[in-house]
Amino acid sequence: MKNIITGIGVALLIGSCNAPNDKKPESNSVVTDTTRKQTYTNNTEAKEISSIQEILNGYLKLKNALADDNANGAADGGKAILKAATKFNSSSLSPGQRKIYDDIAEDVKDNAQHISENSDKIAHQRQHLEALSVDMYDLIKTFGGDEIYYNDYCPMYNNGKGATWISETKDIKNPYLGKKMPACGAVKEEIK
Amino acid sequence: MFSTLIVLIVLQFIQPTQNKSGYLLATDITNIYAVPDSVEKILKTACYDCHSDNTHYPLYAYVQPLGWVLNNHIRQGKKNLNFSEFGSYSKQKQKSKFRSIASQIDEGAMPVSSYTLMHKNARLTNKLKSLLIQWAQQSKIASEK
Repeated sequence: MKNIITGIGVALLIGSCNAPNDKKPESNSVVTDTTRKQTYTNNTEAKEISSIQEILNGYLKLKNALADDNANGAADGGKAILKAATKFNSSSLSPGQRKIYDDIAEDVKDNAQHISENSDKIAHQRQHLEALSVDMYDLIKTFGGDEIYYNDYCPMYNNGKGATWISETKDIKNPYLGKKMPACGAVKEEIK
Repeated sequence: MFSTLIVLIVLQFIQPTQNKSGYLLATDITNIYAVPDSVEKILKTACYDCHSDNTHYPLYAYVQPLGWVLNNHIRQGKKNLNFSEFGSYSKQKQKSKFRSIASQIDEGAMPVSSYTLMHKNARLTNKLKSLLIQWAQQSKIASEK
């Protein structure tokens, strides 16, 4: 009996000690949440544009690394894309645009993850670059980029099946064939 | 030596949960895309063991730790591509998966050699390979509509 009473006493003590501690961080987090939300609404537009730009920047880093036959650099680019795409908040987009974004982003993340995890298989990274490049094209076409980009085409890749990539420069630097044939390919379209 | 044996015996009682849902999800590839019988047969014998929710387990899977190693491969395979959940992927991802299926088979990366070593049925002839690749390419076009 005595044990039970002590037990209850201890339980009450623990409970009463925890209660205020539990509440404090909660109320704190509510405050920070609102402030964060406010700053977010104020900067929504700027943040979003920079975020798609961040995904694009990661992609450019990745394809430039592949043009230099640098698989580790490509993996880093993949990680940067993954980080930017995860950070991107699509909730303030219009429903139609959000649908398009979410659809593309799921594929962007999947391809970026494969590239980041395969720094020992550059050929495999290049396969995922093909799909990722189509994703980037669709993203720029839907949301617009900060700069002018070029949709380049390499007719030789994948046994003559060909593939496209996005570049920030007019000069050709082929990420599929790398240093073996850096100048193979041509600008197919200028995109904005 | 004796203690190793004891550990091995004890291990046999810890069987991993099997990858067997036993039913067809609404998101199953066969519910979303046209899959001819000839193609479904190939998928079942050469792909589904690691790329679906229903694995046909070989006898050695019941011997530990082999079963765990196997389950690890299955988990990895399903993470990359799961035909049972194909319909839950976004359209763009479905399109990319079809592209990857075609290229992985074309270059002989899939089915993986460690798998075909143990599963003779999964060794695909060139004819079966091109049938599968053709189906993936057609499905990719269908996914863009």
